[in-house]
Amino acid sequence: MRLLAYFRSLVSGFADRGHADGDMDEEFRAHIERYADDLERSGLPRSEAERQARIAFGGYERTKEECREERPGFRLESVWKDVRFGLRMLYKNPGFTAVAVVTLALGIGANAAIFSVVRGVLLRPLANRDEDRLLYLRQSIPGDEDLTFSVPEIQDLGKSLKTITELGTLSQLDFTVVGLGEPHEISAGVADGNYFDVMGLKPVTGRLLNAGDDGPNAAGAAVLTYRFWTSTLHADPSVIGKTIRLGSLEGTRSAVIVGVVEPSVPYPVETQLIANIVTSPHHLSATMVQGREHRMTEVFGRLAPGANLESARAEVHTVYSAMLAAHPEVYKASDHYQVDVTRMHDQINSRARTVLWVLLAASGLLFVIACSNVANLFLARTVRREPELALRSALGASSAVLRRALLAEALVLCSTGLLAGVLIAAPMVKVLSRYASRFSVRAVGLTLDSSMLWIGVALALVAAIFLAFVPRLPSADASRGFAISSSSLRITGGSRRRLRIFAVTQITASFLLLAGAGALLRTLLVLEQTQPPFETSHVLAVNLPVMTDGRNPQQVRDFYRDVQRRVAALPGVEHVSSGFSVPWRDARALNINFSFVIEGAPREDGRQDPRARFRSVSPGFFQTLGVPILEGRDFDERDREGGERVIIISQSVAKQLFPGQDPVNRQMRWTDPVMRFIGISFEPRRIIAVVPDLDDQELIPLPAMTVYQPSEQEGWNGRLFVRAKNDPYALVPTIIREVHDMAADQPVERASTLDDIRAEVMTPDRLNAVVFGGFASLALLISVVGVAGVLAFSVSGRTREFGIRLALGARPGHVLANVLSEGLVIAVIGVAVGLVVGFAFARGIARYTAEVQLPGALPLILSAVLILAAALIASAVPAARAARVDAAQALRSE
Amino acid sequence: MNPQAELLPGTLDLLILKAVSLGSLHGYGILLRIQQISRGTLLIEQGALYPALFRLVRQGYLRASWGTSDNNRRAKYYELTAGGRERLREEEDGWNRLVAAMRFVLAADVEET
Repeated sequence: MRLLAYFRSLVSGFADRGHADGDMDEEFRAHIERYADDLERSGLPRSEAERQARIAFGGYERTKEECREERPGFRLESVWKDVRFGLRMLYKNPGFTAVAVVTLALGIGANAAIFSVVRGVLLRPLANRDEDRLLYLRQSIPGDEDLTFSVPEIQDLGKSLKTITELGTLSQLDFTVVGLGEPHEISAGVADGNYFDVMGLKPVTGRLLNAGDDGPNAAGAAVLTYRFWTSTLHADPSVIGKTIRLGSLEGTRSAVIVGVVEPSVPYPVETQLIANIVTSPHHLSATMVQGREHRMTEVFGRLAPGANLESARAEVHTVYSAMLAAHPEVYKASDHYQVDVTRMHDQINSRARTVLWVLLAASGLLFVIACSNVANLFLARTVRREPELALRSALGASSAVLRRALLAEALVLCSTGLLAGVLIAAPMVKVLSRYASRFSVRAVGLTLDSSMLWIGVALALVAAIFLAFVPRLPSADASRGFAISSSSLRITGGSRRRLRIFAVTQITASFLLLAGAGALLRTLLVLEQTQPPFETSHVLAVNLPVMTDGRNPQQVRDFYRDVQRRVAALPGVEHVSSGFSVPWRDARALNINFSFVIEGAPREDGRQDPRARFRSVSPGFFQTLGVPILEGRDFDERDREGGERVIIISQSVAKQLFPGQDPVNRQMRWTDPVMRFIGISFEPRRIIAVVPDLDDQELIPLPAMTVYQPSEQEGWNGRLFVRAKNDPYALVPTIIREVHDMAADQPVERASTLDDIRAEVMTPDRLNAVVFGGFASLALLISVVGVAGVLAFSVSGRTREFGIRLALGARPGHVLANVLSEGLVIAVIGVAVGLVVGFAFARGIARYTAEVQLPGALPLILSAVLILAAALIASAVPAARAARVDAAQALRSE
Repeated sequence: MNPQAELLPGTLDLLILKAVSLGSLHGYGILLRIQQISRGTLLIEQGALYPALFRLVRQGYLRASWGTSDNNRRAKYYELTAGGRERLREEEDGWNRLVAAMRFVLAADVEET
């Protein structure tokens, strides 16, 4: 009850504070008057009575103040007063307020945004049921990080596992889909009936694949991924039950769409559709089922109850070693086969983790810079306000009261910064999530995490408390406080040192960011300046996936030959050829490489056969890309099925295997065991030409051992290369029309110049440079303001000193140089500390990960020069002001 | 020696509560009544009275209301609340115990130890 009454009086007391003050006056005056009346009655004259009554009452104002403090709501009122005072101070210094708020907003906003992305990508649990029990198995050898598994291997591994309840498998392949809008090629997966159960996913509509869909006699069934269903099919519920045709290299099968799977992270590749095994004739073939080295399947598992990651890892290692021992002819010791088991969650994040932690560190640095800068401004201003604070303290304000006033001001400042920070955080998250989606699909469509606002609030509070406790309060010693009678500032050594320390901190942090951004920028510049080894700007690559529906292999070959002939006849087309992989874009096809031997060359025991990239191209491919044939002849009409088997090699192969000899007309033979499964024979092939090394995988070309095989001799097709006379994109509609004229169902997709494909591959590098460059320039900007602020402050405090020096005959140039060097010293110390911290940090990190690259000397030097130049520019304005000090005026102002 | 006794710290509240318990009073009246009932031996600094009054109002022991005094002047009158009455009893008991204890202590003789 009392509490309620208290609150009521608190509110009413707060509501009519002015009224209460008047009441108090009336009450006290009445008291004094009554006492005076009594004194008068005892014989004193009225005036003397009143005087004595007032004296007896004591300090009138002090009593009032004491009573006010006892009144309900006093605390609230005084906080409110402090806040209002703070607001007024900020309003009166718009420049200071604007700089401080913008700085804090950037610091807080960037951190809130990055925290949102880190949480969304790295920390948020996956949608999968019991996601922490979901495992991913990976087989690798040095040089091939993801070897995947073959069907016999999966059978050996999964047979008797106790720590893993089930294995689910998925192999990735491209299907040409007919029956869902325009025919087109999609990225798809072929999964067993366990897959969805192991993954712990539920259908959004319809059903998922189950054990009933396994086996060669099941009906074709396909599940759509949520993203494909919603984005491409506009969440059309009527597609469930629809029959579609799925075409892959070895034939076309039909399948019924049975359901849509809930939104989940696709791994290892984004797929649009997941079908059961019967939809891919290849998966039912003996080569797939029996070929131990025919690996194309990813394996997932689920921890058994009671098992943990370590026990699962140990068991899988044991089973795997037994399998290696049982097949020594396949798993040669020299190949170092390995298996690893990881949590799916960690596996998905592995690529994004480093990037995001680095970003987090960068935004942390930005926050440090922002706080130091605002602390600097705040400190400088408090020193300027020292007279005011000293006056207040002399009049009896306790240091707690002054500190509270500062805190209120800092809080007002930081909450304004927080508001502005939240406003800019939302668009920042959008940009960052687009950036992070290059590394993790989980970043797609992230929004500002509302719980991350608390991070912002916490940061703002930290900043505010930090700010309020940075300035030293004037001591209660009034004699010092009353130095205020002179209007000039007396800057204490302590404040000055702190200002400098903050400025150095900012420079250090900016230098670190700048050096990092510089290294990334250099990588990008190198990439952009590198000339690709072949013509890119006028060559159009078009996906023309193979359609096996109702065609025999000869008809498929004829189709591609006809397409080339007809497109070549189009006006504006200079040259046309076909192949199997588009440079830089078809990562999976570009990765194909096989081992081979040269006929007649001695084979050393225990040494592995050399390996070369396998490329399948049509006659004219080199001419289309503008690459000369160094020796011999190009493929032509003769090099068809049934003709003599021929190949073309790259210069690296010639140099390495035929040193000092003429490779043309020599013979070579593929030896890779995988050949058995992909329809390429081990017959000898005659080398008919040598071409320059065309690295179509790396952005910076490296020597590449490559073997070209004609697409009509056990080769593959599916990509069209068109060299245009003028604008390549102007040809796209006519090419599509021409192809559809021949086969209406034939997909013609992703037409793009090689130039644009290369630029697309470079995007992550560009984004890295842009994001870090953005961070660094923000940091640099803030620290320039910081350094300029410190120097301006120092100059204004030394007006008198400069005045005297100038009056004694110092040249303005000297004064100028003096201030400039002060700025330079701050910058040099900052850069030096940055170097030390940076190297120490890099060494510390290098202990945990090998991925650390120290930026080369050039970015370091450039960053240092940039920082020094910025510091000079920042010092120039205050320095010029110092040099212009009017001696007479400076002395008079004292 | 000064015939007026120094006020022990903490006793002002008790005095005010006691004075007001005898009938509602305005500030000056409280002062007079304390002087009167202490037969002029207790000196209260006039300025110290009001913060104590405000505190007791805030704590809910006193209630203040404006009224008209004998000579037709507006005055703020203080009266005890139920809580104040309770508080007064507690304070009185405490004080009496203290006084009794002090008396025993001061009357102690060598034999009694």
